[in-house]
Amino acid sequence: MGIVNEDGQSRSEIAISWLNATGFLTLKNFAQRTDALKELNATNLNAVLILPENFTQNLDYGVQTNVSLIIDGTNPDVARLVDDGIRTLFAEFYKTIINQNYTEPIMVNTETAVVREAIGYKENIVPGMLTYPLLFSSMVVSTGAIVFEREKGTLKKIRASPIRPINMLFGKTLAALFQTAISIIVMSVLALFLLGPKLNWNVPLLIPIFFLGSMNGIALGLIISCIGRAPQEASNAATTIAVVLQFFTGMYFPIEYLPVYMQQIGQFIPMTYAAQALRNIMIRNATLSDLVVPMATLTVSALILYGIGVVLYKRWVEK
Amino acid sequence: MIIEVEDLVKHYGEVKAVDGVSFVVKEGEIFGLLGPNGAGKTTLMEILCCLRRFDSGKATVYGFDLAKDSLKVRASIGFCPQETLLYDLLSVRENFAFSASLYSLDSKKFNERVEFSSKVLGVGEFLNRRVQQLSGGMKRRANLAASIIHDPPIVILDEPTVGFDPNIKREFWELIKNLKHYSKTVLLSTHDMYEADEICDRVAIMNEGKIVALDKPYALKKTIGGDDAIHIRVKDSQTKKAITILKEYKTTVIDSEIQVSAKNPWEVMAEVSNKLVSQGILTEKIEIVEPTLEDVFIKLAGRKLAEES
Repeated sequence: MGIVNEDGQSRSEIAISWLNATGFLTLKNFAQRTDALKELNATNLNAVLILPENFTQNLDYGVQTNVSLIIDGTNPDVARLVDDGIRTLFAEFYKTIINQNYTEPIMVNTETAVVREAIGYKENIVPGMLTYPLLFSSMVVSTGAIVFEREKGTLKKIRASPIRPINMLFGKTLAALFQTAISIIVMSVLALFLLGPKLNWNVPLLIPIFFLGSMNGIALGLIISCIGRAPQEASNAATTIAVVLQFFTGMYFPIEYLPVYMQQIGQFIPMTYAAQALRNIMIRNATLSDLVVPMATLTVSALILYGIGVVLYKRWVEK
Repeated sequence: MIIEVEDLVKHYGEVKAVDGVSFVVKEGEIFGLLGPNGAGKTTLMEILCCLRRFDSGKATVYGFDLAKDSLKVRASIGFCPQETLLYDLLSVRENFAFSASLYSLDSKKFNERVEFSSKVLGVGEFLNRRVQQLSGGMKRRANLAASIIHDPPIVILDEPTVGFDPNIKREFWELIKNLKHYSKTVLLSTHDMYEADEICDRVAIMNEGKIVALDKPYALKKTIGGDDAIHIRVKDSQTKKAITILKEYKTTVIDSEIQVSAKNPWEVMAEVSNKLVSQGILTEKIEIVEPTLEDVFIKLAGRKLAEES
């Protein structure tokens, strides 16, 4: 959440320190209201809190003071969470930090900034639906593809032919990408016809996110398939890991609902960036420049994970 | 020589799976590796197919060094393991197409090879059926055909008939023998002495990772297997008496049968028969049995080749 302290006096500084100490939100200070709102529009913030000029003075004189909370309303769940949270926190702040003898509380005036009109459940669920194949299909398909060949014994046949292991791996990767793409297309068509969400289907931006997200899932699947001792073990592990990871990635529900430590774990999961990027493109009309960080993160993580996968795969094949 | 193996060694931890094995396979012959389970046959074959690395020694296949030219080695062999390595949901033709793609076969050559497989290996009748719909015998024929779809000069078969019923086994033996007529060199592993005897031009007998004997089956039987034996079966109650009557001969009792070793079995058989009849013992069976590769193995290793044999 962005904080604009227009007051700059003691009471407002105490309020900011107190908000910081609660750990409810990560705060970022802005000197100008316009800068904070720009960041909000760029989807880098969930909300902006403005402490007005007379904040300290009003509290000192026992007069009601108003703070402005501008929330990104594109995700109704997050907006409600932030609104309720800030109101509760200021009420607590008033009771705990400010003298209880004051009669007038701090009033929180909430304003919702909506990038697009009519953002509702359908609009929020569809990007989550499209993250699903990136996590499940790509990971489980790539695990299954390699494990299947091992279980069936056909890996032996392929290895006895003049095909390099790395070529087989690329073939499996392409196949998993293809299957994931089919899943995404099916999900998109179903979403369009069954839910009819008002979303920005910016295909040139969506394709790289789908590709990078899939590559991360495929690489994870590859690592799991090489570590698993038995085929069934690898398949089960891939499914279990995918199920667990979805809670950290903010696929179906806002990541902000999670405890802070879980949100922090989510930052280390590539699919979190894919999920957020899809939301930003489809709901918030994000442009290429807004996606530099998630794209770079997904690219680096895909390279690292796939690199680890290749090394493990070569060792596994030569066993 | 189309395959040359020299002092090949392979360890699995402390276990020496292949222990200084050397042999050569001539072009156009069917060469068998005969031995019990755990003798090192499969490991040796997998090394020759570049599926496993070896610790020391040297091997060339079709003139290519295993350690340096593994891709060329793999291109010159057709490997058919004991499992059926076909995709169940694909048709036989689709499986062939997949195998052909591994060797970059063009469509003209592919069609020729499918034709060959139909004619020689008899897969034509079920070419367009899904593998999951085939009988065990059909699957194995299709498996063999898929493994040689690229027309390799060398065919490596690992226990090709294990688990077959006798009729299908014989049918498969004919298919393998047929490959010789198409200029294929066949290297096969088996623990079935009859199989080795029936189809192999030369046999290397393996035990505990070593080759303990190598020659033509007939020569092995004659030189190591010992003399022919007369197998006699009498009523159980008369076995002891019969052995006493035949004490002047070298006798042993195996599986309730008295076995008499003899260099001139036809003469001895008449004598033995007369002696038993004169003492009132009627024989249920009396026949001359030549030594088998099982006998050769027992003499070399001091144990039976395999339960199945």
